[in-house]
Amino acid sequence: MRHSYQGTILHVGLSTAKIWKEVLDKDSIANFIGGRGIAAKILWDETKKGIDPLSEENILIFAPGLLTGTHAPCSGRITVTAKGPATNLYLKTSAGGHFSTALKMAGYDCLVIEGVSNKPVYLWINNKKVELRDASDLWGKNIKQTNKILKEQLKDDRIEVACIGLAGENKVKFASIMVSYYSAAARGGIGAVMGSKKIKAIAVNGREGRLNVASPERFNEVVKSAREALYKDSIALDIYKYGTARDIDALNWMHIFPSYNFKRAHMEDVGKLSGRDWPKAGYLKRKVGCGSCIFACHRFTSVDKGKYVGSYSGGPEYETVSALGAGCGINNIEAVIRANELCNDLGLDTISTGSVIQWAMESYEKGLLTERDTEGMKLRWGSEEALIKLINMIAGREGIGNILAEGTRTAAKKIGGESWKWAVQTKGLEQSRVETRGAYSYALAFAVNPRGPDHLHTECLAEFGGSPEAIQVIKKITGDEKYAVPDSINKRAEIVRWHEDIYAISDALGLCAFTTTASYGIDEEKSAKLFQYATGIEMDAHRIMETGRRILTLERCFNIREGLTRGDDVSPWRIMHERQNDLEGSKDPIISQEKLDIMLNNYCDLHGWDKKTGRPTGATLKKLGLEFVLKEL
Amino acid sequence: MNGCLVVNSEVCTGCNSCTFVCSFTHEGYFSFSKSRIQIEQNKERAISIPRVCIRCKKAPCVQICSQEALFKDKDTGAIIVDKDKCTGCKECVKACPYGGIGFDEEDSTPLICDLCGGKPACIEVCRFPQAIKFKQLKEVEL
Repeated sequence: MRHSYQGTILHVGLSTAKIWKEVLDKDSIANFIGGRGIAAKILWDETKKGIDPLSEENILIFAPGLLTGTHAPCSGRITVTAKGPATNLYLKTSAGGHFSTALKMAGYDCLVIEGVSNKPVYLWINNKKVELRDASDLWGKNIKQTNKILKEQLKDDRIEVACIGLAGENKVKFASIMVSYYSAAARGGIGAVMGSKKIKAIAVNGREGRLNVASPERFNEVVKSAREALYKDSIALDIYKYGTARDIDALNWMHIFPSYNFKRAHMEDVGKLSGRDWPKAGYLKRKVGCGSCIFACHRFTSVDKGKYVGSYSGGPEYETVSALGAGCGINNIEAVIRANELCNDLGLDTISTGSVIQWAMESYEKGLLTERDTEGMKLRWGSEEALIKLINMIAGREGIGNILAEGTRTAAKKIGGESWKWAVQTKGLEQSRVETRGAYSYALAFAVNPRGPDHLHTECLAEFGGSPEAIQVIKKITGDEKYAVPDSINKRAEIVRWHEDIYAISDALGLCAFTTTASYGIDEEKSAKLFQYATGIEMDAHRIMETGRRILTLERCFNIREGLTRGDDVSPWRIMHERQNDLEGSKDPIISQEKLDIMLNNYCDLHGWDKKTGRPTGATLKKLGLEFVLKEL
Repeated sequence: MNGCLVVNSEVCTGCNSCTFVCSFTHEGYFSFSKSRIQIEQNKERAISIPRVCIRCKKAPCVQICSQEALFKDKDTGAIIVDKDKCTGCKECVKACPYGGIGFDEEDSTPLICDLCGGKPACIEVCRFPQAIKFKQLKEVEL
């Protein structure tokens, strides 16, 4: 009897137009849990070293979490995995919304899309019935329109849709896949993989399905206690009230709010960029919850008057406000809401879109890009017109947009000069909006993240000690609450590794990271109990953390197979060499190679990885049950 | 406990926690179609409206049932379905002006909130938004 999983992997072969089902066995659940874990194993097994991410050899995996479809708090997330086009390395993305629940309820633990279609198609999953359909009339349409047309064609308002916009069709290296309208599997160009396969959308009706758990009463008890712990967490109510952008005023005051392409971490005036200001100013219209969510951090905003009247969309999130707003020197929240709406509708990752535009603004400031390159457009800091125009040009690959659509690493090679120095990226992914020069766990976590410098693999918020619960987490990990300070190299490896483990578990269970690494209602004990009572497979806190490590290590091995070495685990050049302009007095203003090396050495030791190469040792792989990778490394 | 559900759709986040806890409480498993509460949504505009029996005074569902299969529970005031009498004609579903009655195609019976016997499970999972609240009443309005 299967509990909390459906036991089915759905395969769709686009080159052959064949659809088949494969059994997902209990051992896979025991070893990889679900979601991100199962996806990691499938990507390892079914792809070969060196493949082109945009070729038919790549696969695209949608994997709902193990607890998705239950009332476990915030359990509605989905992992979307492929070899990533921005980095040519492992790519895990994750999205909220309700698509994950629909896919799971339709009867599938995993959807694997293989090959390339010779014409635009969409996949229609109507519970047990699955078919590929012609999508010629959808090709060229953006997210809102695609959703609308599909709901009309399928005569069902309640379907859940994952789709790409113009950016995905044009294989922009940071195109997103949008689910439930405004939730994004955003980073690393996952939408370009979908576009390269010519699959426009996946529509799901999972309303006939059901899901059970092995021990309903015990499961319910743990869910109740997890919900109670989350409701009581110091920051939970604030997340609900004001969303992810709630503290921009405070972050700006503390000089940790990335702006002007990471040249600064402070704006003179942040206007109404803070989420705390949106209810009163009238921008916030609704708070939106993903599957079984308690926080509803997602916003729905609109602009009702002025230049940007009529703009409406989900978000903007903190990352978006920093990337499309402050990063470009813009403090007008209405322009950010408009730019966010455009990115969501065109299917663009707001972080990389903002990053590449601010890189272009700095290149213009320094004379490497001129009006000849931009067809007369002045790419000045703070130009809302340039921001809006460039977003459209990137998605359509028009003019300079065609260069920017490749991401900052490639664009810097084309523009030349020293523009690579202000391309704030490593491995080909633009850094998410954390001022890592003053947050060392983040700096280390970003350097070793398999998908590049980004917070959604290892969110180390606890190092700031911003709540009593965060301080307790640091004490639990390091033995002393004195390590709850962000600008210290001590114990950073321990802090990062704990967060890596719990984050991998969250992704595999389908839980939002807010439950484990921002507020701390679900720890390793509760995760293990949720797993055990859901599946009937015995689990304890130690073993589930080891399972998290197994998942992360397998992702690392994917990158090692691609040729990654420890030398690739660095911070962006600017973070390692240039201090913030506005913190001249800071004693220790950068993440130096020396500092990074100390942390990396400790980190490799903790993991059982070779310090010189960054490769997991044979003993480590054996301990984690990953011996099968050895023949390919 | 005697009372009724009060819905405030302005603050519903559409998370579906109530939908799942409802089917889990009543059936022992998670299911959209077996839930007594459904969230009607316009996702483009982020509008979510919980559809559930709010135990209205007139109870047109009770009035229209030709089989007398629906009645108000004497203790809680909730509408109860006598499955032996119900023929599955769906007249009660159509009669409800709030869209608060679902239909179980498998069992061919209406799905109506029974207030979980006086302690509704859905209230517990809607703590922050409080889009659904339980209102106690002094007397059972029969």
